[in-house]
Amino acid sequence: MSEIRRIYVEKKDAFAVEAKGLLADLKNNLLMDGLEKVRVLARYDVMGLTDEEFSQALQLVLSEPPVDTVMEELVPAADEKVFAVELLPGQYDQREDFAAQCIQLITQKEKPLVAAAKVFVFKGSLTDDEFEKVKKYLVNPIEAREAALDKPETLEDTWEEPADVERMEGFLDLSEADIAAMQKNLGLAMSVEDLLWIQKYFKEEEKRVPTITEVRVLDTYWSDHCRHTTFMTNLDKVEIEPGYYTKPIEDAFKQYLAIRDKVYGKKTDRPITLMDMACIATKKLKKENKFPDNDDSEEINACSIVVPVEIDGKKEDWLVMFKNETHNHPTEIEPFGGAATCLGGAIRDPLSGRAYVYQAMRITGAGDPRTPIEKTLAGKLPQRKLTIGAAAGYSSYGNQIGLATGQVQEYYHDRFVAKRMEIGAVMGAAPKSAVIRERPAAGDIIILLGGRTGRDGIGGATGSSKEHTVDSLSTCGAEVQKGNPPTERKIQRLFRNPEVTVLIKRCNDFGAGGVSVAIGELAEGLKINLDKVTKKYAGLDGTELAISESQERMAVVIRKEDWEKFAKFADEENLEATIVAEVTEEPRLVMYWRGDKIVDISREKYKPAECVQRKRPERTV
Amino acid sequence: MCSEKGLSERFDSTIGRATVEMPFGGKYQLTPAEGMVAQIPVLHGHTDAASLMTHGYNPEVACWSPFHGAMYAVTQSLVKAVALGANPDTIRLTLQEYFQGMRAKADWGLPFAALLGANTVLNSMEVPAVGGKDSMSGSFMDLHVPPTLVSFAVNVIDGRKAVSSEFKEAGDKVVFLSTPLLDGDVLDFAILRKNLRRVHQLILEGKIKAAAAVEEGGIAAGITKMTLGNALGFRFVKPFPHTESLFTLQPGGMLLEVAKDADLEALFGELDCLPLGTVTDNAEITVNDITLANAELVKAYTETLEPIFPAKAPESETPEDLLAQPLYKRELPLTAPVNIARPKVFIPVFPGQNCEYDTARAFDLAGAESKIFIIRNLTAQAIEETIQAMVKGIQESQIIMLPGGFSAGDEPDGSGKFIATMFRNPRITEAVNDLLQNRDGLMLGICNGFQALIKLGLVPYGEIRPLEENSPTLTFNTIGRHVSQMVYTRITSNKSPWLNMTEPGDVHAIAVSHGEGRFYAPADTIRELFRNGQVATQYVDLKGNPTMASPENPNGSLYAIEGITSPDGRILGKMGHSERYIPGLMENIYGEKEQHIFESGVKYFK
Repeated sequence: MSEIRRIYVEKKDAFAVEAKGLLADLKNNLLMDGLEKVRVLARYDVMGLTDEEFSQALQLVLSEPPVDTVMEELVPAADEKVFAVELLPGQYDQREDFAAQCIQLITQKEKPLVAAAKVFVFKGSLTDDEFEKVKKYLVNPIEAREAALDKPETLEDTWEEPADVERMEGFLDLSEADIAAMQKNLGLAMSVEDLLWIQKYFKEEEKRVPTITEVRVLDTYWSDHCRHTTFMTNLDKVEIEPGYYTKPIEDAFKQYLAIRDKVYGKKTDRPITLMDMACIATKKLKKENKFPDNDDSEEINACSIVVPVEIDGKKEDWLVMFKNETHNHPTEIEPFGGAATCLGGAIRDPLSGRAYVYQAMRITGAGDPRTPIEKTLAGKLPQRKLTIGAAAGYSSYGNQIGLATGQVQEYYHDRFVAKRMEIGAVMGAAPKSAVIRERPAAGDIIILLGGRTGRDGIGGATGSSKEHTVDSLSTCGAEVQKGNPPTERKIQRLFRNPEVTVLIKRCNDFGAGGVSVAIGELAEGLKINLDKVTKKYAGLDGTELAISESQERMAVVIRKEDWEKFAKFADEENLEATIVAEVTEEPRLVMYWRGDKIVDISREKYKPAECVQRKRPERTV
Repeated sequence: MCSEKGLSERFDSTIGRATVEMPFGGKYQLTPAEGMVAQIPVLHGHTDAASLMTHGYNPEVACWSPFHGAMYAVTQSLVKAVALGANPDTIRLTLQEYFQGMRAKADWGLPFAALLGANTVLNSMEVPAVGGKDSMSGSFMDLHVPPTLVSFAVNVIDGRKAVSSEFKEAGDKVVFLSTPLLDGDVLDFAILRKNLRRVHQLILEGKIKAAAAVEEGGIAAGITKMTLGNALGFRFVKPFPHTESLFTLQPGGMLLEVAKDADLEALFGELDCLPLGTVTDNAEITVNDITLANAELVKAYTETLEPIFPAKAPESETPEDLLAQPLYKRELPLTAPVNIARPKVFIPVFPGQNCEYDTARAFDLAGAESKIFIIRNLTAQAIEETIQAMVKGIQESQIIMLPGGFSAGDEPDGSGKFIATMFRNPRITEAVNDLLQNRDGLMLGICNGFQALIKLGLVPYGEIRPLEENSPTLTFNTIGRHVSQMVYTRITSNKSPWLNMTEPGDVHAIAVSHGEGRFYAPADTIRELFRNGQVATQYVDLKGNPTMASPENPNGSLYAIEGITSPDGRILGKMGHSERYIPGLMENIYGEKEQHIFESGVKYFK
């Protein structure tokens, strides 16, 4: 293999917007008075190029003569301190990815290996203590780390062939106390009761030990994020505390009970839940035919209404879809990626409904961003960093995918210091005739469309349901997701073509829970071949493939005979599409990995009765 | 309450050529819109149907009483929607709850009360919530988020009827339409419903010139925001006896501007409508004996968030001869020696570009035949096939259009590199040269496309050539972030066939949306461009003069340059998205918005 070439690229003084901004930021917000100058350099390590190719890459891709200075070595002066930052391994790095793709256009060979880092040089009298403070300010350990200043030996991935998926020997005989310990050790979001239930199910019905994949898949599927346990909890006793507003609340409760009577009849055993309270008024309006534009269907991807649209004087029925989504926890721990994927995820809901998403609204809540940095709570990022980082992330995703963000409003309130609020709401639309919805049948195939799968976001679904503690910043690393909007844009383009969408029987986006949820929800009986899931890098094991939350992926059910047609359309949009599963007769969720059957669960158990339709919106009425 | 313009303008608000209302309205783009309105994204043909979305939320009220917080939030989303033009009887909602973790029994009272509050409105107003989403882990140790319910309201309207919230004209009357509170501070929904239906009827009749919901800060804040957009003034009726209630929350309340000769009795009848005063053209607000100048109000409104989300860039140096550069007028428009009824436009789309739909539609509407071509690069073979197809596509066309977007996400560390690298492939370069040198073809690059043109040397040199240290370039905006807003640009030279339906000195309101739009070149090079008539367009202030001031010059471009051409004008690169306007859009922005560049490009071949 060829040698690694290292190059530093720095903006000339007239163009050093970022460096100057950072200097001002550190002086104003970290009170680094002794700091005189900040330099920011992009560092590239490139492998797999000839001399000539490298020199072209340098001229055309890695630097621009009018704005950049290029150097092969960086020698700091005595009053300069240097450190470098890189994203954690396994996180999507748009800079590395597109540098490699651009260079490939020159070479027209395999993509070269590119590693990128950002190097900061601080000039002035900075004490070691202050230097550490600056590092801490600039590096969020959940997504990035300080990079070595030396050149690495290789850029090639070193990975080991993963071991077979573990069978949980002895699990069937564990005592309740052991199970409680196990729940903690594995960091599961499900309760001890859930685990005991699983133990009983495997003991009595499957008559075998579960695999770790099965436990993780169920943990993901049952997490509050997916199952909404809070909203489904029975409220068997309601007391309204006496106080100034007792009366109106009591009246409102009576009104709610009266509507229930009208909707369900007086003799109903339906429990009172928050979900019911949220849905009841709409159920009543439906019953009274006061919601005629409701787009009723078995497949629910987003809120959907039927609207007549006049085009060149002719009326056509359209589906207008809208959806709101929060990403509070991910944004709190890594604002850029969390907010970016908030929008990415919100878009994929109507998009999976084959609507073209054209507009977004962003409503957020933050503590006072003017709070001095040193007043930041332990275990938290400063509000200033949170709000600026989240704005940068959300806007970068929206601007790149090409949808208009029509309203942005942030609410400032001290209590949002507990956790940021990051809401994305989107609008989508499609001609009704372009959206076909059919129940999948045995023999249909399931296509994984879009991005590749990595370790990103593993445990995101369960993570959001866990409560945030001081340790969250250092232990949630794998839960961070990075967006790749150009890939999602390709799906947007593909699904805007009615010739494509009429092939689609049902579609589900990869949100929380990855393969296990996105594909797992599509049909009653499924056989998934995890070896077909395209990977970002080698070394992922079956469990990781089953629950990874890598972004920009879509699961599509089509007839087997439509595959070639569909594949051609996807290829024309520069999109990867792979058959990863088939619909089966028997109602079981089955997953294979390296020939090993690592998941084989009864559908009935996978989706217990109380786990109502998780598909968004959770309140189907 | 403060302006969030610096935050909002990081977000592209005009892509899709569907934006009916810009987020900030008026000549000064300072009055925030009540929500968002966009035409339905039809692929072919024209529609006036537009969707709108608004939201309602107030964390202060939610903390004080989750029941009222939710009730007022839903109400606010409805009132804002109606203010924009929604029909109150067909609005649909989706709700977002965000609460602390449910630890103690009493915690359950928070979402319980909030959902009852929301249910009260849904039931009384007969508005269904189609869906919703809950997030129930808003806690950190013993800190908890406000008990939050945000309501989103959606409706589909005739976009031509949408109403914006900035005051339009001096002399107009402004009224406050109120909804009374009953016992327990519950709104009188019967009256609210009547009010909203009446307002909607008046909007359909074209009798409401501006409308806004009363929000935090009360009537005073509402009136202030409505004056700022067009720097108009407001005089409250004198004596104004209700000063104590100017700042109070008035859930369900609306502020409405009607014509100066409007008969309030005829418009509002028995409804509780309070005449507040008159819009004036002296930029100040007067209530009884107090007068506040527009400048003071703007300062107070905009400075709070400036250290976090700047709306203005650091000051740029103004060159002494900025205003001395002459306009350049071409006497006879440049035309192609061949007649082509429907010139073909080749639009390559690189990963991350996203303006191809809008641009293709603009060309097709102007009489061209556009072809969108997707760059495929998943394998080395796909790249080879792409190069061959591009060569063929260029050979079959008369125009190459490089659309806007973020090719390769503007990576690595600079925009347009992916496109430029592809075009430097010798076979593609040859096809481009052939189009330009032998076939009298045209090229246009907008935003990301302009960045690619300049990085190829096509502007200003007219040919693909290696870049030198002193080559003109486009680089990061001086404000250090993406900017999305409307700007005013002036035609400085109409040498280009792309501008042959304009006259030097014409000013247009154009959408910009970019992170790297700052034109930069040595001053001598720039002066030469002016002399050659190659500076096509410049950012100007409201007087029409080129300016270095932010935000009129949104990116700190030297000599306020927005667009330049090749020496003979057949290649034009510009930052502003001329393709994002068709009649019916950007209704809260004033001035001529149609630049006719696509039509001009097509006419060149006639």
